[in-house]
Amino acid sequence: MRPRNLLLFVAASVTAACFANTASAQQVKELTFWSHWAAEVPKRTFVEEAIRQFEAKNPGIKIKQTWYEKTALYAGLKTALRANQAPDIFYAEPDQAEYMENGFLLDLSALNWAAVEPWAKEAWTYQGKPYGLPLEAWTVELYFNKKTMADLGVSVPESLQFSPDAFSDMIKKAKAKNITPMALGVGDRPYPGAHVVHEALLKKLGVADYAALLAGKLSWSDPRVLDTLKWVKGLTEAGLLPATFTTLKLAEAHGYFHTNPGALTFLNGSWYTSRAFNPVDKGGQPVDFPLGIMQFPAVPGAVCNECRSIAIGGSYVANASTKHAKEVTAFFNSFLSPEMGNRWLDVVKVQTGIKSDPSKMTDKQAADYFAMIAKTNAGAKYHFGIPIQVMSGKPKEVFTQVFNNAFPAGNISVEDAVKQMAAAY
Amino acid sequence: MAILRRSLLLLVLTLYTSFAAGPFVWAAMMSLRTTTEIHRNHFAFPNPAHWEKFPDAWFNSNYGIYFVNSLQVVVAAVVILTLIGAMAAHCLARYRFRLNRVIYFILFSTIIFPPQITIISLFQILVQYGLYNSKVGLTLVYVAIQLPLTIYILESFFARIPADLFDAARMDGYSDWEIFWRVALPIALPAVATTVILNFILLWNEFLYAVVLITDESNRTLPLGIQRFIGDTQEDVGMIATGLMIAIIPVIVVYAFFSEKLIQGMTAGAVK
Amino acid sequence: MPSSQAGVAHDDGLRKPWGTIVAFLLPALTLYVGFTAYPAIRTLWNSFHRVLPRREEFIGLANYADLARDDIFWRAVRNTILWACTSPLIEVSVALLLALALYAKVPGARFFRVAWFTPVLMSYIVVGILWLWIYNNDWGPVNVAMRALGLGAWTRPWLGDPKTALPALIFVTSWMWVGFNMVVLLAALHSLPKEVLEAAELDNCGWGAKLVFVILPLVRATLLNLIVLSFIGKMKIFDLVWITTKGNPLWATETVSTYVYKRAFEWTTFDLGYASTVAAVWFVIVLATVLTLTWAFRQREKLEY
Repeated sequence: MRPRNLLLFVAASVTAACFANTASAQQVKELTFWSHWAAEVPKRTFVEEAIRQFEAKNPGIKIKQTWYEKTALYAGLKTALRANQAPDIFYAEPDQAEYMENGFLLDLSALNWAAVEPWAKEAWTYQGKPYGLPLEAWTVELYFNKKTMADLGVSVPESLQFSPDAFSDMIKKAKAKNITPMALGVGDRPYPGAHVVHEALLKKLGVADYAALLAGKLSWSDPRVLDTLKWVKGLTEAGLLPATFTTLKLAEAHGYFHTNPGALTFLNGSWYTSRAFNPVDKGGQPVDFPLGIMQFPAVPGAVCNECRSIAIGGSYVANASTKHAKEVTAFFNSFLSPEMGNRWLDVVKVQTGIKSDPSKMTDKQAADYFAMIAKTNAGAKYHFGIPIQVMSGKPKEVFTQVFNNAFPAGNISVEDAVKQMAAAY
Repeated sequence: MAILRRSLLLLVLTLYTSFAAGPFVWAAMMSLRTTTEIHRNHFAFPNPAHWEKFPDAWFNSNYGIYFVNSLQVVVAAVVILTLIGAMAAHCLARYRFRLNRVIYFILFSTIIFPPQITIISLFQILVQYGLYNSKVGLTLVYVAIQLPLTIYILESFFARIPADLFDAARMDGYSDWEIFWRVALPIALPAVATTVILNFILLWNEFLYAVVLITDESNRTLPLGIQRFIGDTQEDVGMIATGLMIAIIPVIVVYAFFSEKLIQGMTAGAVK
Repeated sequence: MPSSQAGVAHDDGLRKPWGTIVAFLLPALTLYVGFTAYPAIRTLWNSFHRVLPRREEFIGLANYADLARDDIFWRAVRNTILWACTSPLIEVSVALLLALALYAKVPGARFFRVAWFTPVLMSYIVVGILWLWIYNNDWGPVNVAMRALGLGAWTRPWLGDPKTALPALIFVTSWMWVGFNMVVLLAALHSLPKEVLEAAELDNCGWGAKLVFVILPLVRATLLNLIVLSFIGKMKIFDLVWITTKGNPLWATETVSTYVYKRAFEWTTFDLGYASTVAAVWFVIVLATVLTLTWAFRQREKLEY
């Protein structure tokens, strides 16, 4: 080739190569994704599959996933957000108001909210705008071992709710046979121990007064509050909880209930299935475990025994400074359909904030489980959010220390507990 | 009488040694047993000894990564510390100038600083300079926190070197730097060795700064890695024990090798 | 510190080689200023502001006012100071007793020194995990031994009970540091001049008198150094608490360092100002206590022998 042609040829090739590079660079957008549930197989399976389907439908987008355990995730996010090293999408729960207060989250108004339950959207609404995709919803349920219950000669009433006396009687019978009445552990979580107290308080006071109590508008020295706390104290002093309550971890508490040493009941969120329905060698309950669900017992003098807490749990949010806002929105929208909602129910076997139809379940284990959940939730009146989701600052810290840890463990009296709470507001 | 005294002595020795080393031996035994075996009997001897747990922990549980990170950060920090610490200590011990005692006193008093006074701002500063979550950033912080102690130990040793040696070297035409590098440093080798070992041990085990300044899994140091491990769902006691062994063994090796030097150095400082 | 004065007086009376001095000091001082001095000042500055990710607001002494009323902080201060006062006493006295007992021939000295030093060599993280297992309610050696000895009624979740959690942790640090103190004291004892001890022997001193009037005064400097060292170390403690109890239960083991970390990184806020205030106040408290301690312990007369 003559020199001038050669030059042209080289120039053309180089230009073509440049364009080829930018074209391919434009082709793959990578979204970073941090999530909790590293060890909760059903949820992880669901999300990983949703990601796979999304990537298949959108070849130009890849999602790089990192799975964490919750405490590690929160610690990492706290500093990463400040340092501008946070991922595009990450797991969050609605109690983390600080994310929204500091403008770290992407406004998700553009999502297909028609596919979401209104109360689920409400949980994530801050100053009129929604910021989170409410994937997981859960209620506090009282699981029990049907066989052990029958062996003790205790029969669960039709209404699935023990009267206070019947419940105390159940505790006595269990203790007589050296069986822990209720498995529960606060070794690594700030909320399980408080379930007993807040469900009792909610039933005693009703939704409105209970909300006022948590907000500091109703005094903790109110006689109804004191009565309820005294009643709970009676239960814990009768030996309701395990001796290792303060150090027992969440996963261990599951095992304590269904495998070793085996407890009579277990007060946990309805996401119990996320660990219990794992294969046995991954910490799941034994095959054919006689699982039953009943209601939290009636509280003496309660105004609303059908009241219960419902909370939005695991959700996904987007980083406000993400460079791929369109792709993130598309990804979130891929979750918002009744099919996805039903798929969540089938695979994960926990309620969801996405509008779905439990009657369309294809998995038998899921169908049976949700039938039980439907029974305990029939006619329920809901309070949205558990205390640590609606409280913040000093009251939240004191509530956790007192009612999650110390009070159920029997380390603080009713009077002192109430005094601490009053001083916290 | 002597026999009674002798046997009493032996009793105290064995009791205390088992008390001091007991937990460590227990962890070593558990590191060679699987978690299921451990839950059956927490105190049995490893039988069979599962040596494969160590490569398993190294490759599958990321202990290998944590170990290498720790090695990189700590070795780099100790090298830099020794060099610039010795330089500063030599200067403070050798040359007389107005600010000498002031600088010395300021450096010395920082030893009692609680870490909290700097950690929050260090977080902000490293973020600002893009050094957050990086091994470089952590290394620099490590050098800074151990500088006062290093300079203190080295300075008192450097100051005891007789001045005649320096006068002689100066007359032989040595430059200031050569005096430091060829005369002072070799003589001060015992003290330098002490600071090297001390810094290595303290930084290898350092946790607070690491937990605040490093969050990326690939940059984690060993203490951080272990803590992360124990936070995971099932308490895999066997695996945690193996990880603990991986963390402890380098330090024990370094120490056993240099124990005499280290004790000499530490006791010299304290006995003074 | 006195020893270096002799060295400094000698060199370079004529002209100061400023170039060299600066060259030698610059690296260390730069790092010091950049990573220690400046952060300390900035923390102080933070304490007068609300420090949020995107902005900082000057709020004057508001944080300090909140701190005065913060009972969690004062609880943490009490815990930490209690720890820093009791731990050194236990560690040094037990170490002294052991050192005295072992003052006679110790066969296999090198092996024992390694064995006794092992606790100190381990990271607080490792120690914390080990003792979490040792204190475990169901299968930890402590409770298992108690049940084996028929003392089953005494078993309890040691780290879960507010009354026993802090003493349990103090015991752990004592376990760690007694070995270190003992080795140092043994060296000190061995370096005592033989003539004085033999003289006391000749004077027909009783064992007790020999201890109190001869040995103790001679090792006084070492003892005090060890106490101060231990005190400072306990005022800073973080890792051990973090891996075992994290300040629980009911703030029984909350130390100032864990509280600062929590306020800075774990409360539902991004504000770093309040945590900086805690750090600043704590710094003053530490400084004051250490200065008091060293002043109280300063040698009044040199011992002549």
